[in-house]
Amino acid sequence: MSRKEKLFAMVRIGFAESLAYRGEFLIWFLTTNMPLVMMLLWMAVAKDGPVGRFGTREFAAYFLTTVVVRLLTGAWVAWQLTMEIRTGTLARRLLRPVHPFVAYACEQASALPLRALTVAPLVVIILLTLGTDLFSSELSHWVVFPLALAGALCIRLGVMMTIGSLALFWDSALSLYDAWLALFFVFSGYTIPLELFPAWIQPLVNWLPFRYMMSFPVEIVMGHLDGRQLLVAFVYQWGYALLFSVLALTIFRRGLKRYAAFGG
Amino acid sequence: MTILSDTASVSHAIVANDLAKHYRVHRREAGISAALRSLFARRFETIRAVDGISFAIDPGERVGFLGPNGAGKTTTIKMMAGLLHPTTGTVTVAGHRPAARHHDFLRAITLVAGQKQQLFWDLPPVDTFELNRAIYDVPRAEYRQRLDELVGLLEIESVMQKPTRQLSLGERMKCELAAALIHRPALLFLDEPTIGLDIAMQATIRRFIADYNARHGASVLLTSHYMADVAALCPRVIVIDHGTIIYDGTLEALAQQLRPEKRIELRLTATANAPSAWDCGDRGRIVEREGTRIVIQAPQGVVKEILAQAIDELPINDLTVADAPLEEVLGALFDKAAADRQARDPDQTADTGKSVAIEKR
Amino acid sequence: MGYLRLLIQQLRMSILLALQYRLDFVVGALLSLIWIAAALVPLVVLFSQRSAVAGWRWHEALIVVGFFTALKGVLDGAIRPALQDVVERIRLGTLDYVLIKPADAQFLVSTTRFELFRVVDVVAGIALVVIALAYGGHWPSAAAIALCLLLLFAAALILYAIWIMVLCLAFIAVKVDNLSFLFASIYDAARWPAGIYRGVVSFVFTFVIPLAVMTTYPALALLERLSAQRTLSALATALVFALLARVAWLASIRRYTSAGG
Repeated sequence: MSRKEKLFAMVRIGFAESLAYRGEFLIWFLTTNMPLVMMLLWMAVAKDGPVGRFGTREFAAYFLTTVVVRLLTGAWVAWQLTMEIRTGTLARRLLRPVHPFVAYACEQASALPLRALTVAPLVVIILLTLGTDLFSSELSHWVVFPLALAGALCIRLGVMMTIGSLALFWDSALSLYDAWLALFFVFSGYTIPLELFPAWIQPLVNWLPFRYMMSFPVEIVMGHLDGRQLLVAFVYQWGYALLFSVLALTIFRRGLKRYAAFGG
Repeated sequence: MTILSDTASVSHAIVANDLAKHYRVHRREAGISAALRSLFARRFETIRAVDGISFAIDPGERVGFLGPNGAGKTTTIKMMAGLLHPTTGTVTVAGHRPAARHHDFLRAITLVAGQKQQLFWDLPPVDTFELNRAIYDVPRAEYRQRLDELVGLLEIESVMQKPTRQLSLGERMKCELAAALIHRPALLFLDEPTIGLDIAMQATIRRFIADYNARHGASVLLTSHYMADVAALCPRVIVIDHGTIIYDGTLEALAQQLRPEKRIELRLTATANAPSAWDCGDRGRIVEREGTRIVIQAPQGVVKEILAQAIDELPINDLTVADAPLEEVLGALFDKAAADRQARDPDQTADTGKSVAIEKR
Repeated sequence: MGYLRLLIQQLRMSILLALQYRLDFVVGALLSLIWIAAALVPLVVLFSQRSAVAGWRWHEALIVVGFFTALKGVLDGAIRPALQDVVERIRLGTLDYVLIKPADAQFLVSTTRFELFRVVDVVAGIALVVIALAYGGHWPSAAAIALCLLLLFAAALILYAIWIMVLCLAFIAVKVDNLSFLFASIYDAARWPAGIYRGVVSFVFTFVIPLAVMTTYPALALLERLSAQRTLSALATALVFALLARVAWLASIRRYTSAGG
């Protein structure tokens, strides 16, 4: 089988699997309610007058878009990898002539069509209730939006695989991901539009990777960014994606040596 | 019938009267059209897991339940333990109706299932013992004394201080037994208690159960796949097949009834192959003749004569005389039961797993 | 007082378990604190912009967040682990061992497992409330505190009842892990004063899943702003939920032992 065929076969199996787990996905979809809870809070705030450039409608558009980004870029690899290391099923993966990370990425990619399908009604609802005037009218923004989503997904996968690989060394590596998630919660724009933070925190927010996993794509479609800002953000985003990928691969390779030495 | 069981329960530990358990299961065929059809006319089948069985068991009796998988053994045990309600019929255990799950009844029984454990996985067994002491309200002093006895008999002194997850299967089973006996029940329901254990550990567990029975006069009801368990522990067996009792009595009587013949195995010296011409006339039947081995089946009365003839005529190296193996006796019993069923109801093929009645709703 | 002794014994098992995994205990406690802090950030930012939201001032909203945190500790520490355990028992068939014990089965399964590090949530939640009260500068009367505690107990009872009812679904072969997830995430909405919710959302959170009753009412009681009528309706709600849960549980056990197999 050629390399391309192999990848295609894996994607196909992954798609079938994502169909089988559609119930789980639906629940996950329904449990992604944190942005909605935050949305209702901020809308209550904006009732007495807008906060910065955010009125009630802007808040609604912002947080609903957040849900869309979250659903399209969510992943489980950290849990999956940790579980497979703990139960020893990773060994079976290692027997195949494909790097486990490539396999995980294929599984992830194959779930996208179904996710897009699930998200579609949400997008329709957003557009029907809020109209289109809250979103960017510039074509270029919509062209680069998928690229920003892909970048966000790459960072997430990189981080998850890094932490998952740490499970080769440390049993409770997952709690590290929990801590990461708490930071994500605060600094990604998931619970609060980042520009509402006080000015002195802004440089920090821009330096940290979290913004590029959530807020950045949302900012693009809401037309908050000019060309220069967009470019800088993309450099940060793909830089982080690369950084975490290399980190994940390195830790995985090291950990595997140890894993093999101890016999799993 | 009720009057009978009420008076009987005074002297018996367990009385079952025409006890039955039927399940109605929704039957679904594969395919979308079948799924759609089932929306309108659901097809149910009634599975007669236990189909009208009656027996009485005395205090202190040890009884083995035998039967193939799906025969209804576990269902029967669960009904006696109050975990399943009978569809029809009655069962009285220790003077109670089990399904009511009266606390006095629950204190009088215990259940050990080889494939299900009650010990806390991450804690030493002794902590589970302690919890059960609280649940069963066993006074401290009595608890100490009973635990000492169990620990001595089962030799789990050091084992019970280690987390359960670190124990071997055998050690775990011993501790399961101890946990189930802290409240000193008068009735033991043991469902495959030796499953997966090695021969030596099986024997240990058997010895312990026999010992407990002797010391405290508790009734023991046992199901097991290992014939040796049943043969060693239970003077009486109840054989269940297709939800009905096909035999109730001692194992010896069963063997006498179905396979009264003895089995003589001759091993000849290595150089001599079994002469194909040799036989023992119509005294016995040669059932196997292979290499240096000959197996003869014959009634008890003529064993001596056959042996004399064989020693005379053959270069014998070794010989054994034994009863037919239990597995074979039971096999014969099941064959006979299947033949009986077919004779009663010729439409039904002998090898369908369960009697099935389809009804429409 | 047999059941009290039994409860202590069950707690002892959980303590022993926690002692076995001391590192997990510490890590769990630490993560709890991190999450509490993370959840406060948006609120801090919000109230740096406004002095009140939907009629709730900063320290008043903080009381609600405090009660939310404490109740979440109760939910994750005392309610969810035990009921998760039952689901596992149903799957493995070891629920039989619970049913043959001479004690109430619902009591046994509900007390079988506690996640002790969640005490951190309870303590931190109470600390938040105390800080909020100090900030407000008005200390509630003893009667208000007593009423507040009663309402918190009612809230815990409602949460417990909801989880028992979710658990009952496990007897009819529904994957309740997911359902439990779903309810836990719905509970997230109780972190804000109920006043910010409007329309359908407000209706659902008052009558279907009484989130408002759980965190907002105790806070109002502490602020001495809860009407007698609302107090009574909160207590009645808790009672109804508890009764429904008991009925559902008994029906499920009966079904389990009569039809199931």
